[in-house]
Order: sequence, then structure tokens, then C-alpha cells
Amino acid sequence: MGYEYALYLGCTIPLKYPHFEKAFREISKILGIKYKEMEGSSCCPDPVAIQSLNVDTWLTIAARNLALAEHMGLDIMTICSGCFETLKTTKVLLEEDKEAFDRANSILNQINYDYKGTVDVTHFAELFEQDDMLKKIEENIVRPLDDLNVAAHYGCHLIRPSKILQFDDPERPESMDKILKALGANTIAFASKLECCGYCARLNEDIGYKLVQEKMVDLDHLDLEVDAMVAVCPACVSQYDKKERILQRKTAEDLDIPILYLPELMAIALGVDTEKLDLTRRSVKPTKLLEKLKV
Amino acid sequence: MTEEKTIKSSELDHNFRYKISEKVGAKTLLKCIQCGVCSAGCTVSEFIDLQPHRVVASLLLGLKDTVLSSNAIWTCSLCHRCTERCPKNVDYSFILALLRNMAVEEGNAPKEYTETVNTLYDSGFVVPYTGRMKDTIDRRRDKLDLPQIVPPNMDDIRFIIDNTNLGDLIENKNREEEE
Repeated sequence: MGYEYALYLGCTIPLKYPHFEKAFREISKILGIKYKEMEGSSCCPDPVAIQSLNVDTWLTIAARNLALAEHMGLDIMTICSGCFETLKTTKVLLEEDKEAFDRANSILNQINYDYKGTVDVTHFAELFEQDDMLKKIEENIVRPLDDLNVAAHYGCHLIRPSKILQFDDPERPESMDKILKALGANTIAFASKLECCGYCARLNEDIGYKLVQEKMVDLDHLDLEVDAMVAVCPACVSQYDKKERILQRKTAEDLDIPILYLPELMAIALGVDTEKLDLTRRSVKPTKLLEKLKV
Repeated sequence: MTEEKTIKSSELDHNFRYKISEKVGAKTLLKCIQCGVCSAGCTVSEFIDLQPHRVVASLLLGLKDTVLSSNAIWTCSLCHRCTERCPKNVDYSFILALLRNMAVEEGNAPKEYTETVNTLYDSGFVVPYTGRMKDTIDRRRDKLDLPQIVPPNMDDIRFIIDNTNLGDLIENKNREEEE
């Protein structure tokens, strides 16, 4: 069994949260996932600002990134839901619309790129939830998460719109929970599980505060103690992490649930030296969680 | 209470709906049956002045100014629940993006978003990666033993931005050409 991809990093993770990239690379090493670097790739580009300004700019820059991977002869592995959405949507939209496909290529051809539409786009959650990968994860566990209650935050751009992203169930997703269970963790059912983090409502911060508060309070008021919430998108992780800390100061709620990027928790379970992971680089530190695991 | 207002047929933009529905990804717009499922599940419904199904109704009626001046087109969290649940496959969240594009064409791009495309024009990324910022990032990546970033050919990115009509939003272009 061999998995090999063109690794597409985007910009938020490699430039703002490189420790997330580190965690992904460490677990890939353990799980035998091969990849080649996508040198010369640009921002996906950003599905909020760039798509809002001009859909053609958005599709054409994305098609350039797709063409780069096509040239490498490999499918794309994304490590951010925003990148996943942009690249996969571009692939699907350009497939459906010959005119848009030609328009993007007419620009790309002038800078010596040719997008054919043969490359596929995946998010690591899609790979890790495969049966063979779950088995491999279980076989490689060094620090089982048996005593941990972990909440999965799927976020929006991993599963919706399903007719484009074609992954998991858009209303009852299971992939992240399956991965968490393979790590030994107890996964949690909670009312606001599928709510949006609000990060993309960038022009009105109140929306983000409201959504973060709702979810964190929901988790805090459960009968069991939640040890962590995990997400697969850097925007979701930073949104909850930063706003949770601010809300803790502003409200009477005692919010202290650490938010981890799923590969970070996987890396911990798979025995990666935590010194390498820079886990304290966040507002709400996972101190208690690490103590429980005796790291 | 909503204020009643009479709008004459001659004041409507009868082609408004087709300007959207001709675009890639928005062809199903004309199939809307006004069921309101989009509004029922909308993440930001309490923050907008026009609910999703009302935006679509206004769009179909040709109420261009009402739609483009509504805060609903800019206040979307991109959760895609509207698109996901629409029984007629109307991709509302994408239609909103097209409406924002239209507002931008009319000169109403929010400062936050024009800043983003300027950053993209400068470094190929939407996170600033030039000058001292670049040095700091590179040092941090080195410390984590991560490979060096190989940025895109900036001529490529600038060519695409210029040739898809976003060039006018770039502020540094003239300055750089002068240098």
C-alpha cells in the first residue's frame, strides 16, 4: 500500500502556524505517507477575500496550483480546509463549465501553464479515515488516549457543500470521530457539534464571538470533562483558541478547553517527542491534557 | 415593521437575475421556490438585514440596489448550510460571492479584502511574507526543521490578478514601477 501526494501547504499553516505543519509531517513519517513538496505554489487563494472580490481571479490562481500538481503527476494533499475547499471547488466548477475552464486556461497558457483537469484534491482527514489507515494508526499508538474526552469540530469547508467536496456526511459526519476513536479517545456528542466557527464572517467579529461562546459553553456544561477539542483547519483552531481566552476574561464562564489541530493530537498519541511540536504556542495551553498522558 | 415602498417596474433591473444565473456555479438560481430552508439554517441570520430567501426573491425581481446595498451579501460565514440543504440545488453561498463581485465592480470593495489582494500581489500569499516578516517566519521554520518556502513566480500571480480585472485594486503597483 503506497500513498503519495503533492503536498500543498497553502499560506496560513506554513507562515503562521508552522508547528501544525510539523505535526502533519511527523505523523506522515510514522504512517508511511509519501509526498513531494509543491515548490512555487501560491496561496490557494483564500476562499473568503479573493473569491468575494473576483471569482475569475480565484479560479485562475487555483487552477495554476492544480496545474503544478498535475505537472508533478500526483494528486494534491491539503492540510487546511480552506485550501481544500478552494482547490476542490475549482476542480469541480471548471469540470462543469467548459467556458470557465477555457477562460482560466487562456490566461494560464500565456504564462506557460496548462490545466487539464486530471488532478484530484484530498484533505488528510479523507486519507486517515480509510480502514487501512485507521488500522495503521492503531498499530502505531504509543500513548493511547483512553482517558481523554475529545470533541471533534468538523468545520464547514471539510464537508460542505457535499456535492462539490464529496466527503463524509454533511449533516452527520463521522470521519474525525473515527480517527479519534482509533487513537483510543472517547469522542463526544454535543448539540453544537456542526456549528461554524465564524472565522469567515471576517467583517463582523461579533459573529465569531457569538459562535465560539455557544460552542465552548456547550462543551463546558456537559456532564463530562472535555479534555480537548480538535479541528482540521487552521482558521477554526485559531478562532476558538483566541476567542475562547478573550471570552474567559469577559464572561463568567470558566472556559479552558484547549483546541488542537488534529495532527497535533495524533502526533502526541503516535509518540512524537512533544518538544518538537511547540504545543504551548496557543492561548489555551494543553497542560492538563499532557499531564493526564504523563508526557 | 417593514416600511412599505412602491417600486415601479421601470426601476427594476430585469437582467439582474441573468447576470448571476449565467455564471459558473449559479445556473440553478432561477429554480428557487422560496421555501426558506436557506434562511432557516443560516448561521448569521440575526446579523443580516435581508434573509437569504429574501435576497434571492429580490434578486429574481430585479431589485439590484436593494440587494447590492444589503449587509447580507457581506455578512456570510461561508458555512454553506444554505447550499447544502436547498431542495432545488441553488448554490446560495456561491451566488452571494457573485453578488459581492458585482458590488466590487461598482467600486464597493471592503478595505479588509483589498488589503488581502494587495498582500497576495506582493508575495503570492495572503499572509505577509516579505522583508522582516519573512525573516521571522524563516527563522521559526528553521527552528522546527521544516523545509524552506519556495514562493511562486510573482510575475505569474501578478499577471493573473491583472488579467482578471483585479489590477485596479492594487495600490503598490505604481510605486513599484516608479522604483
